[in-house]
Amino acid sequence: MKTFVPLLCLLVGVIIIGRGLVPPNYQSEYDVRSFAELPVQSGGRVLPLDSVARNSLRLLSGRQSAKLPEDGKMSAIAWFMELSFNPVAADKIPVFRIDNPQVLGLFGWQQEDRKLFSFDDLRPHFQTIQQMASQVNPEPKLRSAYERQLIKLTSALMEYDVLARSIQPGGNLDQVLLEYGAWERIVEPGRTAFDQKERGESFDAEDLERFTFLTSRYLDISKRGGFGIVPPAGEQTKADDHWLNLGEALLQTIESGQLNPIVDDYAKLTVFWRQANPQGFNETLTALHTQLAPASPTGHVAFEEFFNTFEPFYRASVLYVIILLLAAISWLWMPLPLQRGAFWLLVLAFAVHTFGLLGRMYIQGRPPVTNLYSSAIFVGWGAVLLGLILERIYRSGIGSFVSGLVGFVTLIIAHNLALSGDTLEMMQAVLDSNFWLATHVVIITIGYSATFLAGTLAIVYVLRRLPAGRLSRETAASLYRMVYGITCFALLFSFVGTMLGGVWADQSWGRFWGWDPKENGALIIVLWCALMLHARIGRLVGERGFMLLAIFGNIVTVWSWFGTNMLGVGLHSYGFMDKAFFWILLFIVSQFALIALGLTRPAPGTRTTPKAANGQA
Amino acid sequence: MKSLYRFLSSLKLTVVLLAFSILLVFFGTLDQVHYGIHEAQRRYFESFLALWQYPSEWFGGLQLSWFKLPLPGGFTLGILLLVNLCCAHFRYFRLSWKRSGIAITHLGVVVLLVSGFLVSWLQEESQMWIDEGGQSNYAETHLDNELVFIDRSNPDYDEVVSIPQSLLRDGAHIELPQLGLSLNVVDFMLNAGLGTKMQNPNGPTPRADRGAAARMGLFAVEKAPDYSDKGINTTTAIIELEGAEGPLGTWLVSNVMDEHRFPPQTLEVGGRTYEVYLRFKRTYLPFSLELKKFTHDKYPGTDIPKNFASDVRILTPGESPQPALIYMNHPLRHGGFTFYQASFGKQDTASMLQVVRNPSWLVPYLAVTLVGIGMCIQFLIHLVRFTTRRSAQSRS
Repeated sequence: MKTFVPLLCLLVGVIIIGRGLVPPNYQSEYDVRSFAELPVQSGGRVLPLDSVARNSLRLLSGRQSAKLPEDGKMSAIAWFMELSFNPVAADKIPVFRIDNPQVLGLFGWQQEDRKLFSFDDLRPHFQTIQQMASQVNPEPKLRSAYERQLIKLTSALMEYDVLARSIQPGGNLDQVLLEYGAWERIVEPGRTAFDQKERGESFDAEDLERFTFLTSRYLDISKRGGFGIVPPAGEQTKADDHWLNLGEALLQTIESGQLNPIVDDYAKLTVFWRQANPQGFNETLTALHTQLAPASPTGHVAFEEFFNTFEPFYRASVLYVIILLLAAISWLWMPLPLQRGAFWLLVLAFAVHTFGLLGRMYIQGRPPVTNLYSSAIFVGWGAVLLGLILERIYRSGIGSFVSGLVGFVTLIIAHNLALSGDTLEMMQAVLDSNFWLATHVVIITIGYSATFLAGTLAIVYVLRRLPAGRLSRETAASLYRMVYGITCFALLFSFVGTMLGGVWADQSWGRFWGWDPKENGALIIVLWCALMLHARIGRLVGERGFMLLAIFGNIVTVWSWFGTNMLGVGLHSYGFMDKAFFWILLFIVSQFALIALGLTRPAPGTRTTPKAANGQA
Repeated sequence: MKSLYRFLSSLKLTVVLLAFSILLVFFGTLDQVHYGIHEAQRRYFESFLALWQYPSEWFGGLQLSWFKLPLPGGFTLGILLLVNLCCAHFRYFRLSWKRSGIAITHLGVVVLLVSGFLVSWLQEESQMWIDEGGQSNYAETHLDNELVFIDRSNPDYDEVVSIPQSLLRDGAHIELPQLGLSLNVVDFMLNAGLGTKMQNPNGPTPRADRGAAARMGLFAVEKAPDYSDKGINTTTAIIELEGAEGPLGTWLVSNVMDEHRFPPQTLEVGGRTYEVYLRFKRTYLPFSLELKKFTHDKYPGTDIPKNFASDVRILTPGESPQPALIYMNHPLRHGGFTFYQASFGKQDTASMLQVVRNPSWLVPYLAVTLVGIGMCIQFLIHLVRFTTRRSAQSRS
């Protein structure tokens, strides 16, 4: 029993992780995986098509896969292929998420019906949307929820439209190869006619007309934007060279006289797909990969595709839930085997979490925390690491429990923060300093981890104290020691991190301290930790009071982490969110409720004053 | 006396002061939405008493906006924390290795608090705009103004007499013996709307009877100050001037009527000609900066800025030019001033540099190092004690 149960737990964990390592089966004769690995340039970086598809779908629908009108799901890449090769069918897939009842009301829809709508659903209402969107408040900070949703919908529709014509030019897709052929033939005579007209000589009007028609069509497509599909020519390509988008690549034919082979291959893919010719499709893909190989020599792109399908953070979060449950059950039943199982699983989950963190660092070439999304991942990672150490020391299940809880919650938060698009976006120039990102940001984020961990331990204290006699004096004392130690750690890291931020600010814009909201938030954490320690040493609070202060620390940290970003002022307001407002409020209320619960009279048998632990500084 | 000492050195006071500091920082941050960073900083952190008002746009704002919360300001809390920390050290502290970390930490906190005061007294920030190919020897800040009289008769230099905005109060009388002038401030407006009688016949009667404002029929109406981060106040004053030979009329001066956009308002006193301006407060440097080239890179296919850089030359009279590159996170420190790449304009052909003069800039570094070292020492002492006790426990 002592080794069997832990081994069983570990086995379950290994199966969950292992499922991510199996290459996804797209159940198609077409080589979807190879298509997903095609490198393109979007948002300033080179990435696999799979990431483009996932990021776009997340932006439109808040999901990583498309939900089909009939039951069933469609992977992001399969949806993108449908959108590119068979737009008529793709327009029926509901991918536009609309939550706001007032916006739904514009189209005569009700909120209860559903939240996802297809392009075809919205098509009859384009005029209304455009008209209403033109009336919103021009100052983004002052927009209402309705106005924000409307603007979001408008940009989602534009995004969709751009995406749908990123690898083929739209129009009659069966004839796309014919169109390109005609373009290649007309370029020479068309340019001659154009020059002749400029010089005032006689020219072939028909040639010129066909030439200008296609030129203006491709000019439109190039201006529309869309991701880059053609890497710069030459042996040595650098990461920040500009890739041509479809329109630009087609216009290049005017100079070169020849259709770019990559554009041609994408057109062939389109036609083979429409002709239901998997063999031709797959052969073209192989050719395309050979052409694109020099543009992504480091293997980053293939790794990112693997990273996308492995989904390390999703898998880690599943494990964290299991750990959480095992630890909680262990306090009632089979303590030793379950706690050991939870610990082993925790080591596994932490390893996967760490792999995810390192994987992102490898893809981006940056320190772990670059935006709000990655800060959530890192806060969880830091808390789990500290919890792991606590569990190793105390072996009571408490370290595993809080690790599982904080790990799971922060990964859920990260998942929701990812909805704004690419989580590996490029850094703004002001923030572009690997040294400071690696020191200031990382250290301050570990400070967040520590305050959350202390707060969570205090919650465990409050909850376990509730049923009479369940919290032994020994456990209470060890919880108190843990919270005290972690708070000291939190003060150290918050202070050092905050002050390193001051040094960065002084180096960057000559102001050590600028009273920016994010700086102030960090300062409040430092002050709060200092207050807790001084209240303790001055005996203004005892064991229970210290715990309640630690729970309030959760509120302080959430304010610093998210609340300050909602103010929308200052240099740090990079992660403005509004939907999160509700959740933050709910969190704060819940923490106050826990504090109130802790203030109730202790159950008989648990009331003792702390002794030895109180004497030290 | 003894009870006062006991009070000032008590840990209770520390906790109360820390709690008030948290409240001050919290409400000071909230009010940045209304006042912008600079004004909130002045009201909350560089003051003795701060007053927070329930925002009217919040839940129940109509009923609750009368509610005002007084808080001790940053100066009050800073001084009290300093006193408390020093007294507590004298009262409780006995030198020992075990507590060495705490002593160093607290020393660092003292230095940090002092550096806060030093910065708020000594630090000057202003901005310098330079066009590509152009040069500049001054920086200005739109957060402060000055009233200046300029004598340009000498070909080698201009003589500038400057009166700071803080002296320009309604009804103030200022003697300027070096100009042979005295002036009365009739009306000073931190922010004003300007209009002419021509465009707006219903506006108030113009009060200036001399200078450009009199010719154009210009009037000024006081407005609420704009505290938003990008907002700039049209600071305006109506002044009466008087020379030795008698009154020289009433003038309207405003920081929108600057040297770049308006012909100067001139005044003759004692055979000399002066130009009069109310303008953004300027800091002249003992050298000039010439902008050779401004670069603005973006990530390919996006509008995300990747890098800004100003390629400049430092021109000091009597010395050979010195080239320098100022870019993100890489300022130029020269002659007691530090230049940071801050902004740009005119389709990437003009660069704005943040110019900071802060003689005490190294003090916070010292403070931070002390606190950091102190906390690390204390944390390690704890950790070692804890692990030795744990291993002793597990052995027994």
